[in-house]
Amino acid sequence: MILNLLVGLGVALFGFVLQTGLAGFNRKIIGRLQKRHGPKWYQEYLDIFKLLSKKSISHGWIFDFGVIMALGGIIGTAMFMPLTSTFLAFENYDNFFIFVYLLAVGMLGMAMSASGSGNPWASIGVMRALTTMLAYEVPFMIVVLTIIKISGTSSVAGIQLFQQAAGNNWFIIALPLGGIVAVLALMGMLGKKPFETYIAPAEIASGPMVEYGGKQLGMLFILHEISVFIEVSLFVHLFLGGATNIFIFIVKYAAVYTFVNLISNVNGRFKIDQVVKFFYKWPLLMAVTQAVVAIYFGWVI
Amino acid sequence: MMNSTNNLDFVKEFVNSKVQVLKTESVDKQQLAFEVNQNDVHLLLSSLKSAGWIQMSYLSAIDWIEENKFEMVYVLFNWDKPVYIQVRAKIDRENPVMDSILPIFPGAKYYEREVHEFFGIAFPGNPDYKKQLILEGWDDIPPMRKDFDPKVYSDRKFPKREYPQDFSVTDPKNNSKAKREAREVRATSLRGGKKQ
Amino acid sequence: MKSTKFTPVTKLSKEEVDRKWWEIGDFFRRNSLWMLMYCTGCCAIELPPAMTSAYDMERLGMGPMATPRQADILLVSGYLSLKTLRRLIYTYEQMSEPRFVVALGSCPINGGIYHDSHAVINQLDQYIPVDVYVAGCMPNTESVMNGFVDLMIKIKNKTAVGWKNYHKNFEWYKENQLNSLGEVVVHDEFHQ
Repeated sequence: MILNLLVGLGVALFGFVLQTGLAGFNRKIIGRLQKRHGPKWYQEYLDIFKLLSKKSISHGWIFDFGVIMALGGIIGTAMFMPLTSTFLAFENYDNFFIFVYLLAVGMLGMAMSASGSGNPWASIGVMRALTTMLAYEVPFMIVVLTIIKISGTSSVAGIQLFQQAAGNNWFIIALPLGGIVAVLALMGMLGKKPFETYIAPAEIASGPMVEYGGKQLGMLFILHEISVFIEVSLFVHLFLGGATNIFIFIVKYAAVYTFVNLISNVNGRFKIDQVVKFFYKWPLLMAVTQAVVAIYFGWVI
Repeated sequence: MMNSTNNLDFVKEFVNSKVQVLKTESVDKQQLAFEVNQNDVHLLLSSLKSAGWIQMSYLSAIDWIEENKFEMVYVLFNWDKPVYIQVRAKIDRENPVMDSILPIFPGAKYYEREVHEFFGIAFPGNPDYKKQLILEGWDDIPPMRKDFDPKVYSDRKFPKREYPQDFSVTDPKNNSKAKREAREVRATSLRGGKKQ
Repeated sequence: MKSTKFTPVTKLSKEEVDRKWWEIGDFFRRNSLWMLMYCTGCCAIELPPAMTSAYDMERLGMGPMATPRQADILLVSGYLSLKTLRRLIYTYEQMSEPRFVVALGSCPINGGIYHDSHAVINQLDQYIPVDVYVAGCMPNTESVMNGFVDLMIKIKNKTAVGWKNYHKNFEWYKENQLNSLGEVVVHDEFHQ
């Protein structure tokens, strides 16, 4: 039991280190795309440690407690994530619905502490974040339920093994419409442009993060990095076949994150009603079509 | 036909028929200025508004300190016959009071607050012309008057930085300091005395 | 069995340990400065070339942030009228420490071309502590980048202590502010 806990914490730490390094590297890629030298590849580490070394201002105990609860929840969620199809911290506990359920704890903690700060921009940002979540969850869940029906198991490691079995394609090729919907839903989950409405730096003064400074902001940045790790890993395991060893996992993870970043770099930002309307039009239609085609007709590539 | 000379003539006839005009001036190709008495301003403005000059572009005042008068200026604009009309009226400087044109142009509320703050003209008829608009916590005479010296105020309230050491960027070792000073003395004597 | 040989280990004193931690903190702080672009006056037009691809600021680690609580540097660009100064003091006191102030242009130094105006202050140094001045009207973008690098060197040499001076000489700063501004509370229609 203790060994499982330590391995789980190691998984969370590995995810944090991987994601932070990759985020800094992506900033350099985006910079080169814009014909300039970007920052150093370890710039994100410097940002986080600088924030943790500043003196911070507190607005009451619910403000501090919400951040700690959110960070604890996200680390707890990351402990369950399988890295390859055979390396798990907790056997039989990597059900897909555990991740969906525990990701809400992080969001709830941030919402609680943001509303405890008393700033109206924070309430607007939290409302927008929850509305965005409402928008992208529905098509995404339909596609994932299709996957669970086809592969017969809802454990993430089990889905990886199903895709790696001989004669089965990765689900992004087997269910092409579902793959496109999943990429769009991933961009909504990560909060990348054009779905960046809930942060919106110049519009609502960075939304929920408006009153944080110093140590709480550092903890929020760690929270953001680990939640990005969870979401992109889920995408890699569910749609790209997972990995059999750790190096292939890192390569696939880096490819997905860089691809999403490159798309979001050339887009503007939607308004919140445009986000909801966008997700409920074509992606929902494609997800339902894909579900009907795959389950009732059985046409899987 | 929307010919601008036709419009200018129309305006001149119209204004001359309504009130007694003291002076007419053609400021620009599309701008005319009429100087009227203080009592005729309201009549002229309301008749111009019903003739089509529905937008009030600007409201301000000029300080003629030698004649001891303020001059109110109202600038109106028409979108159908594009001519700017300036209506000017001279009022007394010792006790400046001008009836507010709020019933005619409701948007003049903020302009009259600004004119009161900067010149000290009272506008009875405007319920809150005394509220501050631009300056906060002002403690001197209204600043746009000609007898207010901004430099004196600035020296009194905001201390200047003293430079105890003479320093020149192009000549840090002061090699040619004597030559520079002699040149400056010659230049100011040619200009006719020490400059302000 | 306990050994009888005992070599005393030189323990660092408390000040030396604090200084070492502070040096590590300084390394992180000077390599990722976040600035609050408070574009007060005309000199703010030098910021877009510094932030984008022409003279890239991100390679120094700097980036713009949206709110004062998240930022390290308060960038005062250009002249400061009385109204702006009241709100600037509010903003400066909201930032989390350690915080730095960079003043662009000649107007915060001695008033610049607005030195004889009734609504513009002449020396910014009397009201909030300033770390780096960049002179010019307005300074070239390379001078602005040079100013930022100077600030990073000052942090390394531990001479960028404006925020500590503000705490030490708080009464002096407050007295200057009240003399020139009258009061620092914001009274206008929107704050009632």
